[in-house]
Amino acid sequence: MATIFELAWIFFKIGLIFVGGGYVLIPLLHRIMVEQFHWLTLKEFLDGVALSQLTPGPLAMLATFTGYRAGGFMGGLVATVFIFLPCTALMLFLSSHYEKLRNMELIKAVLDGILPSVVGLVAAAAYSLGKTSLISTRDYLLLVAGFLVLQFTRLSPMVVILGAGAVGFFFHFA
Amino acid sequence: MQVSIWEIFRTFFYVGATGFGGGMAIVSLTERVCVHEKRWLGLEEFMHGLAFGQILGPFSLNTTVFVGYYLRGVAGGVTACVGFIAPSFFLISLLSGLYFQFHELPQLQSALKGTNPVVIALILVAAASMARSKVKRPNDWLVALLSFVAAAFFNVNTLLILVLAGLWSFGRGYYRREHR
Repeated sequence: MATIFELAWIFFKIGLIFVGGGYVLIPLLHRIMVEQFHWLTLKEFLDGVALSQLTPGPLAMLATFTGYRAGGFMGGLVATVFIFLPCTALMLFLSSHYEKLRNMELIKAVLDGILPSVVGLVAAAAYSLGKTSLISTRDYLLLVAGFLVLQFTRLSPMVVILGAGAVGFFFHFA
Repeated sequence: MQVSIWEIFRTFFYVGATGFGGGMAIVSLTERVCVHEKRWLGLEEFMHGLAFGQILGPFSLNTTVFVGYYLRGVAGGVTACVGFIAPSFFLISLLSGLYFQFHELPQLQSALKGTNPVVIALILVAAASMARSKVKRPNDWLVALLSFVAAAFFNVNTLLILVLAGLWSFGRGYYRREHR
């Protein structure tokens, strides 16, 4: 298993490129945790996303889950601290200079240019996760139902995930 | 009167423990508590914090750090951050522990099988709503499409794609500024 320092460094690096509000973590963490280091199986990764939706915290709580898998409670703690370190430090810096930040236009332009790429990456993550994990007609029906509920009602993702879990539980999905 | 560090911790612990729904739900809860109930800062300042919060990391956490910093400097910012993350951290650690111990149970397997397709739906909905607000001009569509194809069909490294997109938009922004 990974050493604590290795975990800290990996999550710090992820924290540095954590743009676009959280969902970019899905392609990044999937790549690193599932394909590169094999710390999680694809199934465990998807379950981790579901679990992270059961907390009020940001989707980045997925880092706690993957850190926990790689190094127990301490692994989860280190992953959480280091993934949030870069954005917290940057935010403290911005807050202290916020009167003087006149050169924001270029930063904003770069950021606005990255966000469409994030959209493409998140869609690609949905595609590659779906390609391997959606097997039966039942899976596709649930996907469509989940999409419609999340898109057109104001139910929170937490409630929808719990509901989907209840459906699986009561209908004894095998 | 200066707000105490303990008060900051307590407030954001409360936000972090009750703000189910994440993202904008957290931001509006923070706004209600800090701007309207406690009157710690004005709405305009809060909005500036929210705008900065879009740069790196989750904006709910960033807004929290901004408010903490506004009240008590670095110590306040760090306290607000820790208070906000702590409830979710302990909850997810507990859930992870239970998960890795019991996920072989058939009942739990069934429940999780129900959630998997919905997780994919959640990711799709996120991509769609980001596309609606962030992908507007033809250039945006081109970047989004190329990123999708590179990641989905050619397995290009995610980080590399982000860096290239950043360089591309930096170049465009710089060019436009110089040729105005």
